[in-house]
Amino acid sequence: MTPGSTPAACAALLRRDLTLAWRRRGDIAMPVLYAVIVTTLFPFAIGPEPALLARIAGGVVFVIVLLAILLSLDHLFRGDIEDGSMELLMLAPQPLALLVAMKILAHWITSSLPLIVVAPVLASMLKLPPEAMPVLVIALLLSTPLLCLLGAVLVALTAGSRRSGMLLALMLLPLCVPVVIFAAGALAAAQEGLPWVAPIAWLGAGLAMALVLAPLACAAALRIAMDT
Amino acid sequence: MANWVPLWLHRLGSPPVFYRFAGAVRPWAFGLALLLGAVALYGGLVVAPADYQQGDAYRIIFIHVPSAWMSLFIYGVMAVAAFIGLVWRIKIAEVVAMESAPVGAAFTLITLVTGSLWGKPMWGTWWTWDARLTSELVLLFIYLGIVGLYHSFEDRRQGARAAAFLVLVGAVNVPIVHFSVNWWNTLHQGSTIRLLGPSHIEASMLWPLLTMMLATKCYYIASLFARVRADLIASEGGKAWVRDIALGQPGNDPA
Repeated sequence: MTPGSTPAACAALLRRDLTLAWRRRGDIAMPVLYAVIVTTLFPFAIGPEPALLARIAGGVVFVIVLLAILLSLDHLFRGDIEDGSMELLMLAPQPLALLVAMKILAHWITSSLPLIVVAPVLASMLKLPPEAMPVLVIALLLSTPLLCLLGAVLVALTAGSRRSGMLLALMLLPLCVPVVIFAAGALAAAQEGLPWVAPIAWLGAGLAMALVLAPLACAAALRIAMDT
Repeated sequence: MANWVPLWLHRLGSPPVFYRFAGAVRPWAFGLALLLGAVALYGGLVVAPADYQQGDAYRIIFIHVPSAWMSLFIYGVMAVAAFIGLVWRIKIAEVVAMESAPVGAAFTLITLVTGSLWGKPMWGTWWTWDARLTSELVLLFIYLGIVGLYHSFEDRRQGARAAAFLVLVGAVNVPIVHFSVNWWNTLHQGSTIRLLGPSHIEASMLWPLLTMMLATKCYYIASLFARVRADLIASEGGKAWVRDIALGQPGNDPA
């Protein structure tokens, strides 16, 4: 790869973001820790009967993962905006959408992959039957990037605003209702021994669309919010 | 082809001209809304016969259905204005889009509350996770998100552009609300009033409904124009035309 070409710039940005995340490993652990704590609260709150827990396990895990991603999204662009590197990315000759896509990819690797790794553990804490585990992992593999992409667009919109924490939740949660419906629907179908491919295929279709459109929308939103 | 129409529209894009135009239209729209609303309420609550199955409880549709139409209609207006504002950077379009959102949120809330009041005696529950109810609730959240995003920026125009972008992203939900009763066959009934083909409603019940629909449209115009005027005064505070209005001077007419 020649230096300065688009693939080289994307690779460099990805490496930089992953290195930055690795230097602050504690931050990667926070969403996982949050998910574990919230999961342990559920049996205390609704009672430890295995049958009851198994019924709600799938939905609860998806909602917890969604909230953990929501918490981590807040600092997707914040560091770059505060130290001025976002302006440099915007002025770069490479297309902003691709660079932003790399940032989202790095964010997904650092925030969502650990969640996907612990999700089966959380689900078995809630007595999810083992035969539904593969469906849980497949649904998470498709739905977490989708949530990161949707969330990135909204984070980009709030980039120039004063307060964004609750606002981000207010904007993101309505948009991710279909994701939760399809992901939890697949898991519920698998738990009852019904075919679960259709909702998974819907998730895949949504992810394919978001992969193409969300980086473009995110770049446009960043330009609006940063007012350049 | 007379070219005064595009010329007039072009002039309307200027804040002082729109301010005066909105001020002239607003009282008429508000009066018409009150008049039509009174006629529709009389027609709906007194003239129209009771339903053979639901008795008098069905009469809430004269509020519920027009509000539900408005909740979608306003989103449509808002989306078109947001698109115009984003593409051509017309200030009035941005302000119209942003000031539509609270009105739309109010109509959505009225729809949800009246539907819930009707649902208790008819369905036996205040709320159910029906496709249309849920998507209408999501619509309310989107409206609130737009209002919140607009007001979270120091710079109003920047906030308006960011929120206008969110309007376009959230527009996905509007067809979902509209077609939810056809796509998912859940508790909420399908539409009885059709643009194409005969409506499944008695004429004596239909005319108050359509009158109320016009009344809500007029109310929307009146409320929107009042809000736009207030927003323009606030955001153009430093300009000469606002100072002239504040000082009570006629000023030089830019139109």
